[in-house]
Amino acid sequence: MKKEETVKLISAEGFEFVVDKKAAMVSQTIRNMLTSPGGFAETQHGEVRFPEISTPILEKICQYFYWSLQFASGKETEFHIEPELTLELMMAANYLHT
Amino acid sequence: MAMAMSMAEEERSLVRLCIESATESAESVDKWRRQRRTLERMPSHLSSPLLHRLLHRRILSPSLLEVFQHSVEEVDLKGENCVDAEWMSYIGGFRHLRALNLAGCRGITNSALWPITGMTNLVDLDLSRCSKITDACIGHLLSISNLKKLYLSETSLTTDGVRNLSCLKSLCVLDLGGLPVTDTALFWFQELTELEHLELWGSKISNRGAAVLETFPKLSFLNVAWTDVTHLPMLPSLTCLNISRCNIHSIYGGELNVTVPLSKLLASGTTFLNINLQFAPVEADDLSYIDLSGSSVDNFHFLGHMKALEHLNLSFGAMSDDLMWPLSRIGEKLRYLNLNNTRVTKIGMCIISSNVPVLETLLLSHTSVDDDALLYIHSMPSLREIDLSNTKIKGFTLSLLQNLTHLQSLNLEQTLVTDKALHLLSVLQELKCLYLKSEILSDVSLHVLSSLPKLTSIGFCGTVLSNADCNFLAHHQCCRFWI
Repeated sequence: MKKEETVKLISAEGFEFVVDKKAAMVSQTIRNMLTSPGGFAETQHGEVRFPEISTPILEKICQYFYWSLQFASGKETEFHIEPELTLELMMAANYLHT
Repeated sequence: MAMAMSMAEEERSLVRLCIESATESAESVDKWRRQRRTLERMPSHLSSPLLHRLLHRRILSPSLLEVFQHSVEEVDLKGENCVDAEWMSYIGGFRHLRALNLAGCRGITNSALWPITGMTNLVDLDLSRCSKITDACIGHLLSISNLKKLYLSETSLTTDGVRNLSCLKSLCVLDLGGLPVTDTALFWFQELTELEHLELWGSKISNRGAAVLETFPKLSFLNVAWTDVTHLPMLPSLTCLNISRCNIHSIYGGELNVTVPLSKLLASGTTFLNINLQFAPVEADDLSYIDLSGSSVDNFHFLGHMKALEHLNLSFGAMSDDLMWPLSRIGEKLRYLNLNNTRVTKIGMCIISSNVPVLETLLLSHTSVDDDALLYIHSMPSLREIDLSNTKIKGFTLSLLQNLTHLQSLNLEQTLVTDKALHLLSVLQELKCLYLKSEILSDVSLHVLSSLPKLTSIGFCGTVLSNADCNFLAHHQCCRFWI
């Protein structure tokens, strides 16, 4: 996978998740960061830090990105969310506009 | 560039999926309800849908309300009979509460309102139809000093209690519908100079009280339906007026040559003393919505000046062909025309047919229109919905409707349309809803319908279907049927 096609998402604890740009852009917030012309430093380095989002939540969000792409292409499976994650995940999803 | 989410994307957005998972069962709730710090910093636009989803799924209990007390700003408990003093004791802890809807909550008593006294953030309170609310609760209400919107219709309040509301100086919406409010209370209300919206339907006010309305400089919405008011004063900022079931002798105080911003007039079942004279001196250039259903009006000359009219309901009234002429001058913006249960015939359709370029809905149920009327109706280019039920239509000219490329809904219930005529419908490729109810129809009709690709709703009452038809219905999965 070419570097330009991926983006690095970094959690509050410093864990790095390398995902396809296409998947990350399921989030409107990340899409805006990556596509706004010259605006964000994120565009140049291909990495985005989320000091407010913990590792397990960011991991779940990355899973959601890929699930969402699959769903849009016709593979309609269920996306399971553990109830104990719902509140934190909801706030992160709200921030990421996804 | 951010793109707006489609409905389907919204359905599976991560926020929505989280709310669904969090509210799946009482066990799911137990997994997150102790995450207090997260709950405390949750924005209201997330915690509010979560609370209401729990309510909808019947998982919300008074004690669970506590976890939302730091975040939720709006609570809608409308129609929930279980809501009582215990629920209210927790609601009282919602420090940021801005809007509370308790309409129709039968368990709400005067004392149940005690916990919300003194809530300074609360600006919108709906107690409509809480029948146990009496004058004794007024003290509680007055302590919520920043209230802007207060709905008290169909409670057990009286004039004595209501008149004290004049202390709530910020009130801009006040609903006192169905309360025995008298003219005296209105004299007290003169201090409420911010009032924009006032509901007094079914009250005991008379012309004496109505004269006081002149003192509200911002009044834009007034409902005096079902009252003894016959004369209304000049209300220069009024945009919506409901005088249904009144006996009106004069509106706008009989003033001459005034321009008013009125946009909506509801006068269902109203008796007018010469409506033409009442409207003659008034320029109502913005009047776009008129409901005169069942009213006494028998001369529609005044309508000829209403160039902004979009919605006109003349059903159950005196409208007939020879009174239709004013309509031919005002059809430019007309989108909705209800002539149900009037004496209008094909001649009336002839009069307006070339002057209604944007008419979308035409209702002619229980009139004497016949097949010849379709000769005129088919030249109204924007029609989406036509109701011809209970008319003399036999259907021989139904194919004319193919000119109407936007037609989505056609009602032919209780007409004389037969299978033979129904064949002509196959040209209506955009049709989504079709209503048929006639003993004359048989199986053959259904096969005609199978050629209509967009049909999603069929009403097919009073007809005997065979097994073959049931197979057809089973294959047409997208359809909803009323049989």
